[in-house]
Amino acid sequence: MIFKGYRREDGKVGIRNKILVIAVDECCEGIVRAIAKENEDAVVLTNWYTCMLGGNEETFNQMIAVAQNPNVAGVIVVAMGCGSIQPEQIGNEISGKPVRLMTCEKVGGTRKSIAAGIEMLKEIESHISGLKREDCNISELVIGIKCGGSDTSSGIASNPSVGKAADKLVDLGSTCIGGELFELIGCEDILKSRAVSEHVAEKIVTLINNEKTRWGVPGADVETMSVGNCVGGLTTIEEKSLGALHKMGTKPIQDVLQINKYGVERPGEHGFYLSEATMLCGGAGVNYASYGAHIILWTTGAAGFNNSIVPVIRVSGNQSIINEDIDIDATGIMNGSEGIDEVSDRIVEKVVSVAGGTLTQVEGVGDATMTLYQKDQRVESMLNLNCIK
Amino acid sequence: MSRFMKMEREDTVATALEKTSKGEAAEIHDTNNNKIYSIIAKEDIPYGNKIALVDMKKGSNVIKYGGNTGECTQDIKTGYLVHVHNVKSYSVNIPNSIIEEIKRQMNIRGEEKNDI
Repeated sequence: MIFKGYRREDGKVGIRNKILVIAVDECCEGIVRAIAKENEDAVVLTNWYTCMLGGNEETFNQMIAVAQNPNVAGVIVVAMGCGSIQPEQIGNEISGKPVRLMTCEKVGGTRKSIAAGIEMLKEIESHISGLKREDCNISELVIGIKCGGSDTSSGIASNPSVGKAADKLVDLGSTCIGGELFELIGCEDILKSRAVSEHVAEKIVTLINNEKTRWGVPGADVETMSVGNCVGGLTTIEEKSLGALHKMGTKPIQDVLQINKYGVERPGEHGFYLSEATMLCGGAGVNYASYGAHIILWTTGAAGFNNSIVPVIRVSGNQSIINEDIDIDATGIMNGSEGIDEVSDRIVEKVVSVAGGTLTQVEGVGDATMTLYQKDQRVESMLNLNCIK
Repeated sequence: MSRFMKMEREDTVATALEKTSKGEAAEIHDTNNNKIYSIIAKEDIPYGNKIALVDMKKGSNVIKYGGNTGECTQDIKTGYLVHVHNVKSYSVNIPNSIIEEIKRQMNIRGEEKNDI
C-alpha cells in the first residue's frame, strides 16, 4: 500500500514538515514562543525541568529524539546561556535536516535573539518549500497506540477495533508501538506468551513491575485511575488493563522500548512493540514522537488529546462524545450495527490518508503543549528501580 | 428493558450499554449481540457500569473479559451494581478520598445496598 510522504536525507519518511523550536531551559521559552508564532508549522518544545543536565538526562534524550522524528523537517535549538545544557549538545546529534543553534546571551538581548531566531526560521521555511511528496510504502510507517479517558466503550469498541487495525498494519509491514505499561498490570502472562524471546518476556514483566512500584508507593495516595474513568464504569486497574490490552492486537512482541537516562530505544525490525510510553496523555505524545512515530491511534471514551508533531487519529465508541473532533466513529460496535473488522478497515484507510497529508479532525486546532515527562531519578534511586541493559 | 454486554462466557458481570433503572429487566447479550438471558436490576446501573450476574461472596473474584479484574470487598447479590464501593484491585488501590468522590458523583449509597 502506497502513500505520498517526504523522503528525508537519511532515508526515513516524514508525513509532515514541522519546524521544532526547542527551549532547552525555561528562561528562554518566551523568546522561543515569539520566534515560533511566525510560522504555523513551528512547534515549541520546552524543558521545564530547570536548566540542569544532571538528573534530567531523560528529558535531554527526548529533546534530541523528538528533533530526530521524521515529521520534523528543521530544528532551532535555543538556550539562555547560563544553564548546563548548551544548544550544541542537542544540535550535534541531529543530521539530515537543517539545524540552527542560538545562545541568547551571546546574541546580546531578548529582542535581538527573537529577530535572529526569526531569520533562522525563514531559512528553514525556504528549505521546506523545496520538499516534495513522493511514493512511499505503508511499511515505512511507525504508529503509536494510546488510550485516554477510557470508559466502558473503550474495552468493547474502540480498543478492539484499534487492536485489529494494528494487526492489519503489522501484516502490511508497518511498525506499531503500544505503551502504558502500568495499564497492563494483570496482563503479564498473556503478554509474555506473545514475546519473541525469553529476554523480551522478562523485560515485559520487569518493566511492568517497575511501574507498579512507582505508582503504588504506600501512603502516597497517588491517583492512577481518574474519577472520570471510574464514573465511566471502570472499577479496578486490572479491569482497565484487560480492556486496554485489546488495543495491542495479537502479533508477536518484538521488544519493549525503554526511555531513560541512558537513551531512547527505537524499533528495529518491523512488527509490534511495547514501550515505556507513559499512560499520561501529554507525556505519551512526546514519548511516541521520541520513538519516531508518524501517527498516534488514540482510543477514547471521553477525553481529548493531540500532539503537534505526531498527528492523532481519535477513535471512539462512546455515543455521548461523538462530535467533529472524532476521526473514527466506532459506536456501531456498541449498538450492533457494525463489526470490529469493518471499523478496523476504516482505521487502516484513515492511517494511509493521514500519512498522505489529510489532516486529522483536530490537527492544527488547539494543539496541546508538548509535555516532556520524565521519571524522577531521586525516586527511581530510592525505590531501587533499574532499567534493562 | 435495557441492553447489557457480557464479554466472555465465564464472566460474572455484564456491562450496561444503556442507563438502567432499579426494577428494570437487564437483557444480557454476548459480543455478537445475541440475547442470552435476562435478569432484574436491583438498583440503578449507570451506562457503562457493571451488574452482578451471580451472587458473589466477599473475597471472591470479579471476572470480566474472562479474567480476574478485582476482589469483592463485601457480598454482592445478583442484579446489583459492581463497582468501587464493593470491589478492590489486587495490586494498586484507588485512594479512599477518590472513592468517596466517585460515590458522590455517581450517587452510590453503598451501605444500604444489599438490604432488599
